[in-house]
Amino acid sequence: MNKSIAPSSTIQPALLKLLLVIAALLVLPHSQHLNPAFIITGFALLAWRALTLWFPKTLPHKLLLLPLSIGLALLVLKTFGMSLGRDASSSLLIILMGLKLLESRTARDIQAVIYMCFFVLITPFLFDQRIELALYALIIFFLLLFALILNNTRGLTLKNTPLLRLSGLVLLQAIPLMLVFFLLFPRMIGPLWAMPDNNTAISGLTDTINPGQVSNLALSDETAFRVRFKGTPPEQKDLYWRGPVFWETDGQAWTLTPPRKNAFERAKAIPNNANDYQYTLMMEPHNQFWVYALDLPNKAPNRTRLSHDHQLILDNKLSRNLSFDIRSSTQAKITQLSSDDRSRALLLPNNTDKRVISLAQTWVSSSTNHQQVINKALRFYNDEFYYTLKPPSLGTNPVAEFLFDTKRGFCGHFSTSFATLMRAANIPARLVGGYQGGVYNKVGNFYDVRQADAHVWVEVWLDNSGWTRIDPTAAIAPNRIEHSIDVSQNRQNGDVNFLLTPPEGFGKWVQQLNWVLHSVDYHWQNAVLAYGPEKQLDFLSTFGIIDWGDMVIWLSIFSGVILLITMSVLFLLHATPKDAVQVAYLKLCNQLAKKIGARHQHETSSNYFKRVNNTYPTDELDELNDLYLTARYGKQTIQPFIDAVRRFKLKA
Amino acid sequence: MSLSISQRLSIKRFTRGEPPKHSSIRLNHRRIFILPSKGGLALGLVILLMLIASINYNNSMGFVFTFLLAAAAQASTFYSYKNLSGLVISMSKTPPLFSGTSGHINVLIKESSQRQRWAISIKHQNNSDDFNLQPSQNQVISLPITPTKRGWYTPDTITLYSQFPFGFFRAWSPLKFNARILVYPTPADTGLSAPLKNSKESNAAIASLDSGTDDFAGLKPYQTGHSYRHINWKAFAAEKGLYTNEFSADQSATIWFDWAACAHLSLEAKLSQLCFWVLAAEKNGLTYGLRLPTVTIEPSTGLNHQHCCLKALAVYE
Repeated sequence: MNKSIAPSSTIQPALLKLLLVIAALLVLPHSQHLNPAFIITGFALLAWRALTLWFPKTLPHKLLLLPLSIGLALLVLKTFGMSLGRDASSSLLIILMGLKLLESRTARDIQAVIYMCFFVLITPFLFDQRIELALYALIIFFLLLFALILNNTRGLTLKNTPLLRLSGLVLLQAIPLMLVFFLLFPRMIGPLWAMPDNNTAISGLTDTINPGQVSNLALSDETAFRVRFKGTPPEQKDLYWRGPVFWETDGQAWTLTPPRKNAFERAKAIPNNANDYQYTLMMEPHNQFWVYALDLPNKAPNRTRLSHDHQLILDNKLSRNLSFDIRSSTQAKITQLSSDDRSRALLLPNNTDKRVISLAQTWVSSSTNHQQVINKALRFYNDEFYYTLKPPSLGTNPVAEFLFDTKRGFCGHFSTSFATLMRAANIPARLVGGYQGGVYNKVGNFYDVRQADAHVWVEVWLDNSGWTRIDPTAAIAPNRIEHSIDVSQNRQNGDVNFLLTPPEGFGKWVQQLNWVLHSVDYHWQNAVLAYGPEKQLDFLSTFGIIDWGDMVIWLSIFSGVILLITMSVLFLLHATPKDAVQVAYLKLCNQLAKKIGARHQHETSSNYFKRVNNTYPTDELDELNDLYLTARYGKQTIQPFIDAVRRFKLKA
Repeated sequence: MSLSISQRLSIKRFTRGEPPKHSSIRLNHRRIFILPSKGGLALGLVILLMLIASINYNNSMGFVFTFLLAAAAQASTFYSYKNLSGLVISMSKTPPLFSGTSGHINVLIKESSQRQRWAISIKHQNNSDDFNLQPSQNQVISLPITPTKRGWYTPDTITLYSQFPFGFFRAWSPLKFNARILVYPTPADTGLSAPLKNSKESNAAIASLDSGTDDFAGLKPYQTGHSYRHINWKAFAAEKGLYTNEFSADQSATIWFDWAACAHLSLEAKLSQLCFWVLAAEKNGLTYGLRLPTVTIEPSTGLNHQHCCLKALAVYE
């Protein structure tokens, strides 16, 4: 009947092309973290469907699609097993989306494909929630709305400005309601069901430290966590962010043992002091149990427990952005060491090289106390060792090989060997993993602690001062401690550049821009991504909303208000536009009414104007009447009448 | 015009439409109803799944896009409503038709709100049609009907509906109009000979009625009411003006179609037979009258006369 409407039984090629583009855009962000086999399968299915646009005969028959679907589903099953984690579900959805597109023949099929696309749209966020990805998804969301409209109006072309505008309008209109729901929809703590561990693409320290391990982090600009201090922050060289504490080594690697039974009971909180540092720490998910705190945290913040070696231990692995308010003391000392801990901190692996033990013994024999041994050891490092991120590789006995042969390395090498030497010298020692320093963002007033700041140091037990931090790296490369690694430089050779002097000129602008970008990211992480059950309660309690009941009530109220506002705006703005001739005519009548009285209901324009003419004779009114009648009943030329009304002034 | 509470809450109002009062209906908030379509229910399921995934992974961006989708669906209801509101629907007159034959009802849809309307469907019984409207466009939609009962045919509820813009919601408006369509009985010849009374020259008339042939008697200028079938098209094509063929039987025969003549037939069969005779007589240019137990129509000729006779047959009870 109407040529702009196509029959519902066929799919518009234009719509199909749009959907193929959307589907490809949806698969694209997954290419970073999903098994390439599924990415390729996804793209292949889309390419197949694209091919059918030009060669309709290549459209597969349903009988072929069925075994194909079963085969691909089995492939997913074989790869991931029965657990439907984020990798498995994303892969499955991508494949189903492709298959459904291949199968689609009617508008209803397309509707189903678009619904699947909406689901696929949120899957990349299970891996990564960067702000760029969110904007990317917003654009796809807009395209999906447009595709929906095209599918339901069966429009024939993509260049449809009113429908494009409508998609945009609906999107803009949806945002306030979305925000209300985002803020007020009651969030639940914890997953609804246990999910398989997903360790892909998360970098950071792990529960094992090899001498060479930290180097893969050293050039990563990724944020590990961000810190905002209340009050003055400590100096850069004092920013030791303490993470896992390692007691056990097998001579090659140091491994983290789970906290022992009474580790939490034995933990002692440090009393508050006016010189304590208070700060908020925003952790990125790292899938580990520990939280980094400035050396040493006074007591455990919410959702963590303090262990006896002053680690902050979470109940669950950190799989989302979470923030912690922590108070740390840099002066506090722990002055008690149980005999059990002492023996743990002195335990040397059986395969310790003789040279290591004899070197330690020579220092012990020439010293009167532990401090002198430590000083000698640090001098030994300072004299003969080089700091490099590309050290020669080490064999089965890394400590001895490093100490006596290669003598090149970075914090991992220095600390593991130093701790071994200390134990050989009968000084209790343990290894601490964490981060050192951080890049201060002047724009956002926070420290950005990057993976590049990952660091390992040693704590030794001194009888008069308790556990004391010794950083052998500082003895060799003091710049490493006083300045952060400049990740943008020297990625190729092993040399490291430090952010020594503030850049000038152009570099300064780049730095400024960098700060702004990092600030935006900080707020994104802090305000949007970290908005979980705890933060929601924190935030809403400032408005007196303290439980689910309140949330639901306010959710309803705000939704209702938004509905009313949108409704009134829509219907007031889009009230039926008045006929231009009518508007002009009424304006004219109003003008005349002031002189002669209003037009009677029964009076035609001719009668009324004649009545006016009797009192105020003017030719103009006759002319106006002619123009009005022409506009209404004649050639319907509107403009002359409107212009004439505009010009008209009744002379009194 | 307001509705009583019971009228307002009646289910019929949502499915069959309000009782007809005016010849044209302007669609407004009282006439337009919106409920989720099947696609909308499916969307609800998708949103629920997305929400579960977001809750399970405590994923902020998941929540954002889940809520955005739900909010967009909600916002779409305004546009569903606006797509129908302000349209003025009326039914144009439909000429009478014979029972069992198919005809059309014509629905006039006027867009006067300067808005483009998209993908609206109109449905009457099992027949439907789709259309778009440009701003200020008027559109006549013809929907086929096949009435099977003689008499006054009242069109069923005419439903305008649309799933615009996203297919999540179906906005619909059930409309009932006052318009009635006259349905003549089905013409059927049972083989009876036409009964003739008050006519002495009946034989010729009967012959012409049965054979359908006449002697051409000449032309006379066309007047309104003359049968179209007897217009001399050749003369018209030669630009001589409209003339009607006259047949020799015209003047001579006056026949009466009498109810009593087919007394042994059933009621409907009687009416069908009478209908057939009337048509045949008019076709042959005879002068005929109709005598029913309730009505008597004096002999005459012409389309108006035919209509009077057929109408009497159609509404006979």
